[in-house]
Amino acid sequence: MRVTKLLSRGAMMVLPLCLFSAPSFAETRGYVIGWFSTATYNDFQNNCPLDKNGGGLKLRLRNLMEIGYSEKEALEIINGTAVNLSPDINKRINNRAIVNGKPVPVPNYPEAVRDPMIESVTGKYAYGFDLGGKSDQSKFVDPDTNEKIDNQLWRAVGCTESYRATPPEQPYPEELSWATLIDTAPGWAIYLTGENLDKDGPVTVTTDRLLQHLERDANGKVMPFGTYVIDPSPKSHNVFQGEIKDGILTITPSKLYMKAQHPFYLDIALTNAHMRLRHEVDGRLTGYWGGYLDWQRYAYMYTSRPANGADYIGLYHSLRRMADANPDPATGKNRDISGTFRMEALPAYLANIDGKVIAPAFERGTKPEKLASGQ
Amino acid sequence: MKMLNNSKVRRSLLVAAGCLSLVGAVASRQVFSADMATAAAELPLSVRLSPSQYRQSIIDIFGSSINITGRFEPETRTDGLLAVGANKANVTDIGFERYDDLARGIAAQVVDERHRAALIPCKPKSAATADDACARAFLSAVGRLLYRRPMTENEIAGQVKLAGETAAKTGDFFEGISTSLATMLVSPKFLFRYKTYEPDPAKPGQQRMTAYSKASQLSFLLWNSAPDDRLLQAAAKGELHTKQGLFQQVDRLIYSPRLEAGVRSFFADMLQFSDFETVSKDSAFFPRYTLKVKEESVEQTLRTITDHLITRQGDYRDLFTTPNTFLTRSLAALYKVPLVERTDNGQPQHWQPYSYQPGDPRSGILAQSSFVALHSPGGRSSPTSRGKALRENILCQVVPPPPGNVDFKFIQDTSSPTHKTARQRLTAHATEAMCTGCHKITDPMGLALENFDSSGSFRTAENGADIDTSGDLSGVKFDGPAGLFQALHDSPAVPACVAKRAFAFGAGRLPQTSDAQWTQIEASFKDGKYNFVNLLRQIALSDLFYSMPVQVAAK
Repeated sequence: MRVTKLLSRGAMMVLPLCLFSAPSFAETRGYVIGWFSTATYNDFQNNCPLDKNGGGLKLRLRNLMEIGYSEKEALEIINGTAVNLSPDINKRINNRAIVNGKPVPVPNYPEAVRDPMIESVTGKYAYGFDLGGKSDQSKFVDPDTNEKIDNQLWRAVGCTESYRATPPEQPYPEELSWATLIDTAPGWAIYLTGENLDKDGPVTVTTDRLLQHLERDANGKVMPFGTYVIDPSPKSHNVFQGEIKDGILTITPSKLYMKAQHPFYLDIALTNAHMRLRHEVDGRLTGYWGGYLDWQRYAYMYTSRPANGADYIGLYHSLRRMADANPDPATGKNRDISGTFRMEALPAYLANIDGKVIAPAFERGTKPEKLASGQ
Repeated sequence: MKMLNNSKVRRSLLVAAGCLSLVGAVASRQVFSADMATAAAELPLSVRLSPSQYRQSIIDIFGSSINITGRFEPETRTDGLLAVGANKANVTDIGFERYDDLARGIAAQVVDERHRAALIPCKPKSAATADDACARAFLSAVGRLLYRRPMTENEIAGQVKLAGETAAKTGDFFEGISTSLATMLVSPKFLFRYKTYEPDPAKPGQQRMTAYSKASQLSFLLWNSAPDDRLLQAAAKGELHTKQGLFQQVDRLIYSPRLEAGVRSFFADMLQFSDFETVSKDSAFFPRYTLKVKEESVEQTLRTITDHLITRQGDYRDLFTTPNTFLTRSLAALYKVPLVERTDNGQPQHWQPYSYQPGDPRSGILAQSSFVALHSPGGRSSPTSRGKALRENILCQVVPPPPGNVDFKFIQDTSSPTHKTARQRLTAHATEAMCTGCHKITDPMGLALENFDSSGSFRTAENGADIDTSGDLSGVKFDGPAGLFQALHDSPAVPACVAKRAFAFGAGRLPQTSDAQWTQIEASFKDGKYNFVNLLRQIALSDLFYSMPVQVAAK
């Protein structure tokens, strides 16, 4: 009796799975992500009308004033400096945080120094998704969809000089890390499965981490049509139900977790994750991922690597101020921030750990799947 | 016959002597000059060592841990091979300086603390003074391998003297050895292979190749390197003049793993791989053609060849249709095929066997990037260049050069809205009467390879227009690369060509095809199902291979 109950309960649990996994998918296309960064909307004049943050010189001026110099004195120091500040001044700037009465490195204790209140984005547009944020004032308009969207991450970082980047440029700190890690850190894969990926209809979107780093082409960019093995660890394995409509692929919002590698992002961990992707004529898959992410983990990309040129203290505090979700029950302070990333993926063959190709690369026109032999 | 002169050899010797001061020791000049005079008088035919033969010889004599860094003299291609052009090769003033740099580098490494214990067979009484006995033991042993014959007593005495004088001046025994060795490495006796002849006791009035020349010819044919100790011993005992002795040595060389080096060098020469030094592709159009891919494409073809011809003992003709090859992940990306490598991140890429499905147009060595990319300009494919290479390299035919005033305007306009494909552009170009003739020879074959772009990547369309890959070879019509490769496979001219080239690679000249021995070699190749290793054996065992060139004999 008990066995029967268990079996029937099991059958009831399996039934919905069968119903939802029924479509006989006819096509899978494999890609590796060859470009990934915070989504920028580079309209500096309208985004940052005060032009308050300035570049490296203004940052240096602010830092000198933070350790007690007047503006006049700070300018005199800057004007008398060829490239770098003296080691002594640098040390004082870097150790200006005071914890338990002792000077400590600012990057390790960013909360221990004053918020410089850098200018944040006040423009109308930013890429992103409507994550259900309730504050209408904090909404941007997505230039692609014309919908109101949540992207406080862009609001926090978009007025710093490092983020005045128009794709294919990446924001400088992210470009620096990405370009370094691409030759050593495992890449990311995304693959689509559907009845006919050239037509509207349901699609399964899967993302995974790879075992191998990405290959570069003769231009230093990621080489398409490489073969990569998917990391069997489930940690970065994400499956989303999606749909192509009018050529645009979106997913049912869910969670997304992709392990990354310091000093790039520690990871991409999104709740309420959205995607908006499309096939380009040249075979790439491009678009946006968005959702809520832990603002402190994002900020760690700067504070852990203060030499990357970004105003890491300004960014840290700006992100903290703009955080708009997941309040800490104890403090009431928001732990997450709405954000969006731009990505470009290139055709690639993806294999599982057993060596079986589970997602072939796709190239429009040449039908390589008919020419290539399996192994 | 012994006095037969070779002005180019003489010139090279003079240049060598003139530059000798670069080696450093004044005494060596006298030794070298004496040697030079002897060599010029006694050595009638010379073949300059190719860069690969130089490298392989040094590796075989001193080991692979000796770095050989530097540039070599440019080579000249004659009758389709650099190995034939080497007959006419000289050493220029600049070339001698390059050889001198190489020699100094090699000699310094041989005597350095890392190598001396292993490479020098004796320990000097003192490292700070001369030791003639030890110098003699080393220099005479090494000289035999470098000169590919035993050194004469005069030669040994000269080198020992030079080593001793240098050691005395520098207070360093090994410096003396290094100086002598460097002198030997720039000697024409090392840089040139000499073919010497002597009266044949079995055939009065006729000449035969001397045993040491035979040993060299045999060794460079099969190993692309200098004779080893056992082959020189066989030469010393006169065994190479007997059928049984020659047979034993030929089989020993053929069953050696070093045969692979010989086969690789032959095909690298025949397929013009040295031209890859100047190959580059426009990365805007062919981003997957990286420097690594370029180098690996050559290796891919050589691996395919040696696997098919040596490991599998396959039919030579099947090289043009075989689905079997070897790939790295980068090459697989170029060809747009999956190649799974389950190594950890950061591991180097490995070569893996790969097989195309039957009928895949990418089967065969001519579909590989090493052929289609080599015979294409940097920004577009060239059916004409590819067709010319097929005619000349695979079929041993001659295609006349284009006229000087040829107008390439149609060919080069790859953005033409009316001539989108190479076939359309060539058709427009060939309407000019002076072009038509040659293009009829080259283009029907080359256009069949239009599925491969300039880098070797597969395509079915060019500028949005479908590519037509139909063509014909000597009346045999085909559609696409696979058809062309089958037509080549079935053409009797293809195995005939490789047989002639293989002979020429070893002998430095084409065979007299009217000779009965040659007819026999060809027949044996055919009867043996075009087994290439067997072809090499037949060539190496034939008298024809060691016979005096007709032009020389006539003089």
